[in-house]
Amino acid sequence: MSAGAAVGPRADAASLRRELERLREAGRALRARPAAERLDALGAALERFRDPGSDARRILLDGLPRSAGFARATVERGLALALEGFGADALRSLYARELGADRAAGRAARLATGFASTAVLLAGAIPPGSLVSLVAPLALGSPVLARPSASDPHTAAALAQTLAALDRGLADAFAVARFDARDDGALDAFLSADCVVATGSDATVARVAARVEPPRRLVAYGHRVSFAALGPEASRGAALADACRALALDVALWDQLGCLSPVSLLVAGDAAAARSAAEALAAALEALAGELPRGAAEPAAAAQAAHERAEAELRAAARGDVALFAGRAATVVAEADARLDRPAPLHRFVRVHPVRDAAGVSRALAPHAAQLACVGAAGFGAAAADLARALAELGASRICPLGRMQAPPLDWCHDNQGVLLPLARLSDAELADPGAPPG
Amino acid sequence: MSRVSRPDPARAELDARVLAWMREPGFAADEARFDALARDLFAFQVAHCPPYARFCEARGRTPERVASWREIPAVPTGAFKELALRSFPPERTCKVFRTSGTTDERRGALHLDTVTVYEASLGPTFERFVLPDLAPGERALFAVLAAAPGEAPDSSLSHMFGALLARRGAEGSRFFVRGGRLDVDALLKALGAAAQRPEPIALCGTAFAFVHLLEALEAGGRALRLPETARLMETGGFKGRARERSRDELYAELEARLGVPPARVVNQYGMTELGSQFYDSVLREPDAPRRKLGPPWARARVVDPESGEECAPGEVGLLAVVDLANTGSVLALQTADVARSLGDGFELVGRAPGAEARGCSIAADALLGATG
Repeated sequence: MSAGAAVGPRADAASLRRELERLREAGRALRARPAAERLDALGAALERFRDPGSDARRILLDGLPRSAGFARATVERGLALALEGFGADALRSLYARELGADRAAGRAARLATGFASTAVLLAGAIPPGSLVSLVAPLALGSPVLARPSASDPHTAAALAQTLAALDRGLADAFAVARFDARDDGALDAFLSADCVVATGSDATVARVAARVEPPRRLVAYGHRVSFAALGPEASRGAALADACRALALDVALWDQLGCLSPVSLLVAGDAAAARSAAEALAAALEALAGELPRGAAEPAAAAQAAHERAEAELRAAARGDVALFAGRAATVVAEADARLDRPAPLHRFVRVHPVRDAAGVSRALAPHAAQLACVGAAGFGAAAADLARALAELGASRICPLGRMQAPPLDWCHDNQGVLLPLARLSDAELADPGAPPG
Repeated sequence: MSRVSRPDPARAELDARVLAWMREPGFAADEARFDALARDLFAFQVAHCPPYARFCEARGRTPERVASWREIPAVPTGAFKELALRSFPPERTCKVFRTSGTTDERRGALHLDTVTVYEASLGPTFERFVLPDLAPGERALFAVLAAAPGEAPDSSLSHMFGALLARRGAEGSRFFVRGGRLDVDALLKALGAAAQRPEPIALCGTAFAFVHLLEALEAGGRALRLPETARLMETGGFKGRARERSRDELYAELEARLGVPPARVVNQYGMTELGSQFYDSVLREPDAPRRKLGPPWARARVVDPESGEECAPGEVGLLAVVDLANTGSVLALQTADVARSLGDGFELVGRAPGAEARGCSIAADALLGATG
């Protein structure tokens, strides 16, 4: 079995266990190298992903429209925006921020080591998050066995190819597995890695958690939801149009399928303000669709969107307190209340709700605190800092300007966790000379 | 709410025409009769259900502009969570069925001023597709894996089973869910005793309850072998169990643990908002492909979600139903379920997810069945 190659295409339990053993061996060699050397090599790999002309980008650009249904232009723009900050410097900065030596007087030196092996279960169709999940264990010297999702088999393959071209040791420590997850034996073998990173639905995470018991480490990323908020300074005129153009990009990229994609917009103001914002957002989404066409939706997703569109149409006709702005490229519903429990069909379907003020934003989001990922905001002026504090208190892992929701930094604390820390085994060395600092 | 069934006199003639069809033997399909009744009922509902009337007006599809039942505007089932879609005065309400969910969730509600049409529809349809081998009037021994109507008065499924037990249930037929729990011990005891009786067994319930039963049997290392005449009817989804299953896997486990082969397991497609139900064809037409069939007074169409046009046979689309049993509410419904048209019936491809505010797409990215 060659380094960095796929196991399978339908690996069984025995082949997965053999591959994990091989990876553990490769991991020993990887951890023997200085961290700085690993980071340099991985940084170079990230630079390849950042380069629009690279093979890695070509693999993603060619593959994702087929596997996930995105328009090619959407993939191109999404990757350009998301990967712009994913360079070698960002990786070194991330390592230093989370694992850098603490030499304060009287403090022990904290040493970080990667696990002997890490299994990474990927989900969804959006490459940047997957790329971080795959690179992070390698940065710590832990070899990775990855199982890609059906909608994005390309990111892991592109990384394998990139590592093979750049660094034999890292390539040896990385493998891609394909297996039928209904095969309990294969799943157990995959999850027998010393550390497991699992991204997926709540049911998937629960199923994995039941199979990964201490002392093995489980780092889970469940489903998350993001929102946008408009303050009074962005709720009319040119400011509103600008904010909606920025928000339209946040919605349109990845066809609203990412955990950073806003599903609803909360507008500080009355129902008329929400309606104006909905109309402006619908116009912005239609305009953007010329550049970034909406991709194909699975029948079930298209069915739910059609159902919710018709439901809004009925309420608009029957009660008049709801307005529907349904175009060729997107659907925007101006709701009369701040209830966020209506279905979110995704695929560029946004509900717009009125809230009284900045405090109303966090009140409306409170029922979703457990799943809250990102809140994009504009127009809150002096109230922005208080809003950010309130949202952080709720559990939002990111609060950012509109137009930047799909561009999280490499060190974004996804699910309120660090990037490297959850994957590391930490040791406090209290001897007089614990050795050279990491890196 | 009225304690007695008092159908609106204004609708009496329409109800009588629908009931006459339901009570006729033979299950005769009649396109012209269906079209005439559907359009008359549509006109009545537009006149008596203001929210629906405004919806139809907004779409430019008023009774005078609708030339066929296929053109009747379909109400999305989700609207039953937001609006009281009834075609009679509220004070005539005698029964409200609600969709499942917790008290914190908004639940859809079907308001009825009579259960007569509802019950007249469900009986012959169930008999045709679940009891086709029984002689007229012959009774089956029902074991129901659902709560009794008295315990779940707003459950249309419990009401349906209650009506069926009264109509075709042999002595000893009963419900085995109490206080939200399946009484597995009592059920197994009853099934053991039933195997000695001459009546065929009809084990019916929610798929969720069947999964619970299978898990209990598995935990106890037990398996039954029900008589060859037994049949199973299951309905609804069953996600959220510790181990999710596909329907094929469920049926294989039912065969292994209960001794009932998939050919004798019937899935029912129904929903609170619909007065009629659709059933798998396997018992009625064992040599034909499995597909969902319904009574002649309910018609299912598979439509393109974007255009609303009817899909070509074999294509996948959104399921829409026109159901004459919905005399007191709205007869044309658009579900959020995905189906494939198969000749005189349809195949359900996927049911709509729950009403949670779903975020990123990984919420639907179940590990089950995915081969990465």
